[in-house]
Amino acid sequence: MTNIYAALEIGSTSTVLAVGEAETGGRLKISCKAKIPSTGVKKSQIINMNAATQSIKSVVMAVEKQQAEAGDSLTIGNAFLVVSGRHVNADMYQATVQVEGAKVGDDDIDDVVEASRLFHLPKDRELLDISDLCFSLDGLSGIRNPKGMSGRILKLDTLQIHADRNRIDDARTAAEGAHLELRDPLFAAACAADAVLSESDRRSGALVIDLGGGSTGYAVYSDGMLTAANAFGVGGDHVTNDIAYAFQTTQAHAESLKLASASAVLQGDYDAVPRTNLPGITPIVQARTISRRALDTVVNLRMKEILSIVRSELEGYDMLHRLHAGAVLVGGGAYMRGICELVQRELGIPAKIGAPLYVDGLESDKSPAACAAIAGALMFAHRNYERKPAIGGFFKRFFK
Amino acid sequence: MSDSSDILLVGVGGAASKAVRKIVASLDFTVRSVLVDTDASTGRDGGDFVLFGGDRLSGAGSGGDVVQARLAAEDSIAHMDEHLAGVRLAAIVTCLGGGTGAGAALEIVKHLELRGVASVVFATLPFRFEGEERMRNAIGVRSLIEEHSSVTFLLPMDKLAGGDRRMDEAMSSALAVLSAGVSLFWRLVETPGYISMDTARMRKLLSGARRGRFAFASAEGPGRVDSVVAELQSTSLLSAGDSPVRSIFCGILAGDDLRLAEVAQTADALREAFGRVSSFNLATVNDEKNFSGKLEVVAMLLESDDARLDNDADQTSKRGKKQQSSLSAAPLGRGRFNNVEPTVLNGEDLDVPTYVRRNINLDF
Repeated sequence: MTNIYAALEIGSTSTVLAVGEAETGGRLKISCKAKIPSTGVKKSQIINMNAATQSIKSVVMAVEKQQAEAGDSLTIGNAFLVVSGRHVNADMYQATVQVEGAKVGDDDIDDVVEASRLFHLPKDRELLDISDLCFSLDGLSGIRNPKGMSGRILKLDTLQIHADRNRIDDARTAAEGAHLELRDPLFAAACAADAVLSESDRRSGALVIDLGGGSTGYAVYSDGMLTAANAFGVGGDHVTNDIAYAFQTTQAHAESLKLASASAVLQGDYDAVPRTNLPGITPIVQARTISRRALDTVVNLRMKEILSIVRSELEGYDMLHRLHAGAVLVGGGAYMRGICELVQRELGIPAKIGAPLYVDGLESDKSPAACAAIAGALMFAHRNYERKPAIGGFFKRFFK
Repeated sequence: MSDSSDILLVGVGGAASKAVRKIVASLDFTVRSVLVDTDASTGRDGGDFVLFGGDRLSGAGSGGDVVQARLAAEDSIAHMDEHLAGVRLAAIVTCLGGGTGAGAALEIVKHLELRGVASVVFATLPFRFEGEERMRNAIGVRSLIEEHSSVTFLLPMDKLAGGDRRMDEAMSSALAVLSAGVSLFWRLVETPGYISMDTARMRKLLSGARRGRFAFASAEGPGRVDSVVAELQSTSLLSAGDSPVRSIFCGILAGDDLRLAEVAQTADALREAFGRVSSFNLATVNDEKNFSGKLEVVAMLLESDDARLDNDADQTSKRGKKQQSSLSAAPLGRGRFNNVEPTVLNGEDLDVPTYVRRNINLDF
C-alpha cells in the first residue's frame, strides 16, 4: 500500500492542504493540493476560530473532491501542521555527558544526542524542530564526528525551534472542528529550506526567506546544518495595507495593485512609465490614476524594512558572510517584481526564487515557491514516518 | 526592609545582585529590595533573597543557560509574591548575557505585568570580549523583556566601563557606574523635593513607553550646569537609540544652593539637545547632606510606543491597571491591523506603513 501524507498550512492569505504519496524509487509526489482564501487569520495567527475552522473544512472538502474526481475515494483524517508567525523562536541548547571510557564511543554519542532530546522547553512553548550543530570535547569545539577522540566531557550544540503552544493549540482546535487531526507542527521556513535547497547549497551556506502574507520567516543553512531560524509578524499583508492607506483604496484593490503593478525596487526613470489605473470605490471616490513612483516607493520602503530585520538578525549571528550560495526566496512574496534585486542589494548576496527540488507533481504549478513549505512538510512526513511510523521524532539533520 | 514603600528594587542574577547591594549600601534610607538568583550563594550575605529553581538546579546556578533559568523562574515565580505586597513600581537590575540575568528577568517582568506592577528594567548588555554566545543570549531575550516591561533601559557594558580599561577592571567599573545611576534614580523617586517624582507620576510617565535611554552626569563649582549638559550631550548612552524620543525625564539632585536659573538652564539645554518631544518632565531633589555644592542630573529619554499603550488599554480590566486609554488614538495607517496585537520592534509599531513612520512624502 502506498504511504499517503497530508500537510496543512493555515496562512493569513490562504489555507492550503496538500496530499503527498510515496512513489516507487523513494521520491514523493504531491498528488493533490487545494488552496482557498483564509478567513479568521491575521499575522499567521488564528483570531476567529469559527472562520478558521470553516476555511479548513472547505480546503479538506476541496481536496477530497479532487481525489474523488481522479477516481480515488480518500478521507483526510490527519495532517502535519506548517507553522509560521511571530511566536516562533529558535534557541541554542547544549547537552553534556561524561565520556565513559578513554575515547568517545557510539554509546557516548547516543547519550549526548538523547540528552539533547530530553531537554524540556518552558510550558508555554512547543518544539517544532531540532538541528544538531556540532560536538565539543573538553573545550575543543566544532567537532563533526567525535567518535574515537580522547576526552572526558562531550557536549552537543543544538538549535531548537519552538513556538507558542497556545497558538498551535488554536490550530488544533480549529482543525478538530473540521474533523482533521493535526500531527507534528513544523516550522514553515525550515520545511521550505528542506524542499528548495540542494545538498550543495546547504554545504556552501544558504538563506531561505519565506515571504508569507502575515509573517516573514527565515532559515539558514551553513556547513550543511540548519544553524539559525526565526520569524516575525510582518509580511505581504503589510505591503497591501501600506498601499491601501497611501492611495485610500480597499484592501482588495491594494492587493491587486501589489500583484499587478508594484515593484520592490525603484526604477531609474519614471517619466516614461505610465500612471497606474485605480478603480473607484464609491461614487465619491472615483476611478483615478496613481503615480508608479509613489506606488513603488511605498512597497520598496516596506520590503527594505523587512529585509533589514532579517539582515540585522543574521549580523547578530555573524551569519551573513557565510551564505556563499545566496538567498532563496519562497512564499507568495517571492513573486513580487524586483524582490530578488532588492534582496541582493540589501543583504549583499545573490537571490533567486525557489522551487521544491525533491518532489513531483508541481510541474504545472505556476507558483511553486508558494508551495515550498508544504512540500517540505510532506517530505518530512515521507522521510520520518515511512520507516518509523510510530515514532514522533524530529529531523536528525546532522546524522541523516 | 521598608514595607511602607510601594517601589521595590530587584537584582536578578549574581552580578546584578552585587550591584543592588551596592545601591542599597549607598543610600542613607531604607530601600525595599530583593535579590533573585539560581545560585544559592548570592543570598549568603543576608537581605531578602529568592532562590529560583532550587529543585531543578540545586542552587548551583543556571550555568549560563537562559532556558534553564527561565524554567527555574517558572518553577519558583510564586515565591516573588511575598515580596510584592503593596508594590506599584519595581526597578529591576539585570545583566543580560548570563543565564539567570536574561532568563529569570524575563519571567519576573511577565509576572509583574500580570500583577499590574509597573516595571523599569536596567539591563546591561555584555562586553564584546565576553563572546558571541552571551551576546546572542542578550539579544534573544531583549525584545521579550521590552515587550513585557513598562520601560527597559539597555546599558551596554562597553559604554558603562568606558575608556581602555583592563579586562578585570571593566566589569566592576561598569557595575559601579550602573549602581551610581540607579541610586540617583532611586533618590529621585523616594525623596520628596520641590518638584517631586513619586511613584504615581513615574508610572504615568512610563505609560506608553517601552524602551528608553538612561544616563547621568555630575559636576561641582562654577559652570557646573554647562559641564553636566556637555557630558550628557556627549555620552553615547543617550545617542544609542534609533527610535524617536516621545518624552524626556530630567531629574536634578543638588544641595540647598540649587538655583532656579540652573534648573531652567538644564531643562532648556536637554530639550534643545534631544529635539522636540511630546512631553518634558522634571523632578528635583534638594539634599544638602549628600549633594552640598554638587549638581547631579539623571536623564531618561523615553522612546515612542503608542501602539503598546493602546494594547495595554485593552487589557485594563484584566490587569486592574488604570491608564488613560480614552485619550489614546490608534496610530495612523494600522488599517487591517487595527484590532490585532501590534508588531513592535525597537519601539516602532511596524503595522503602521513604513513611509508614514519615515515621514516620506509621496509624489502622487
